[in-house]
Amino acid sequence: MVDEATAAYIVENQKCFEDLKQVASQLAGLLVLAAAGSKEAVPDHPMIVLARDLYREADDAVRRAWPTERARQHHEHIARAAASIGVALSETDGALNVDRILVPLRAGYTELERAADSLPGFEKVSYERACCGRRGLVQ
Amino acid sequence: MNAYSLWVMEFAAVPDYPQSGLIYGMHNQGTRKLPYCYIVIKGQGQLAMVDVGYNHKAHGEVLANTYGVRGWHSPREVLGEIGITPEDIRTIFITHAHFDHMGNIEDFPNATFYLQERELSKWVWTMSLPRRFRWLMLGIDPADIMRAVDLARQGRLVAVDGDRENVLPGVDLHAAFDTHTWGSMYVTVRNDLGSDSESSWVFCGDLAYTQENLRGHDPKDPEYIPIGFAMGSQFNLIMKTEEMVKSVGGDVNHVVPPHEERLKDLFPSRITKLGLRITELALADGEKSQVV
Repeated sequence: MVDEATAAYIVENQKCFEDLKQVASQLAGLLVLAAAGSKEAVPDHPMIVLARDLYREADDAVRRAWPTERARQHHEHIARAAASIGVALSETDGALNVDRILVPLRAGYTELERAADSLPGFEKVSYERACCGRRGLVQ
Repeated sequence: MNAYSLWVMEFAAVPDYPQSGLIYGMHNQGTRKLPYCYIVIKGQGQLAMVDVGYNHKAHGEVLANTYGVRGWHSPREVLGEIGITPEDIRTIFITHAHFDHMGNIEDFPNATFYLQERELSKWVWTMSLPRRFRWLMLGIDPADIMRAVDLARQGRLVAVDGDRENVLPGVDLHAAFDTHTWGSMYVTVRNDLGSDSESSWVFCGDLAYTQENLRGHDPKDPEYIPIGFAMGSQFNLIMKTEEMVKSVGGDVNHVVPPHEERLKDLFPSRITKLGLRITELALADGEKSQVV
């Protein structure tokens, strides 16, 4: 159970959590292609522009957030996630160097996972509609 | 004479999964057990698997508490029942990128993973879509993508483009694009190693969940019924089902859906001390049974 103010924080911050997860996924996806030698993995890939735009929105939202005491730990994790993912994004300016991008990216995603674990309402994976997870059961 | 031993290894289960998710059209018709399994292929000096399940550390608590998945056990425990360790596995075929098939890469440190390139590239394309398209990303764990980066850097990720024969002797990969997922594939084992094998098995991933997908509800009047979930199309699923069934000479029992609980009624099986099922599909020459 969470108090009303924390519930409001959760609702307010779900989008920036999802957006940061999306940016992390976008970067990781490009890195897979790069590491697997795909010709699609180029430094000016249009997804990098999308990721930067989405990141800017998410980072702004993280900075604007006012966590309650109950949500403080969550906010710390998500702020660290935003910072690390920002570093990973800044490494995409030149050639796609997998190592230089992956280290901060993984650190950022780990922080997102910790954020998800520290408060309800933040999902690492959407199991709700996943094909092999039973739908609609909430205990 | 078999080149490979083939086992279906249960590692977790949903006791009461809605039938409508498994068989198209079975709305409001109750539930059934949905086992989560992977396949072990042993022989010709090879140890391989089809899919690797999911990692309890990453997914298990949420799945157990919220979505009814029960009885998860690690590959070390599950494979230990047939005298194998995860480190022994050298080749892994990932039928598709959902967390319950690809979510435990890190437990197999010595394996090379085969996955369709289209499954990777379509993920990436999907990620570029606005948030309102997020349904297309369901079942995908971003952490799995990062683990895939590591695999690729270590030279342990082989991105397959379409069909590929004899990845191991007598083992073929077949693309099933735009079916359950963008880049699904199924694995054929020609267990007599013949090019026109009379002893073929198909490991179909989630192209079929149950026997009904392969033969319908009436044994006297068989038909294909698609699964309840297709990222691609039901048409493509039906046509791939025909292809799979033909490749085993029409014997639908040789098309093996890992989520089918009734495999235990078709093939020798045992329940381990962990409460998990092992089904033995075939034994290579000289191999000891693991179920009797």
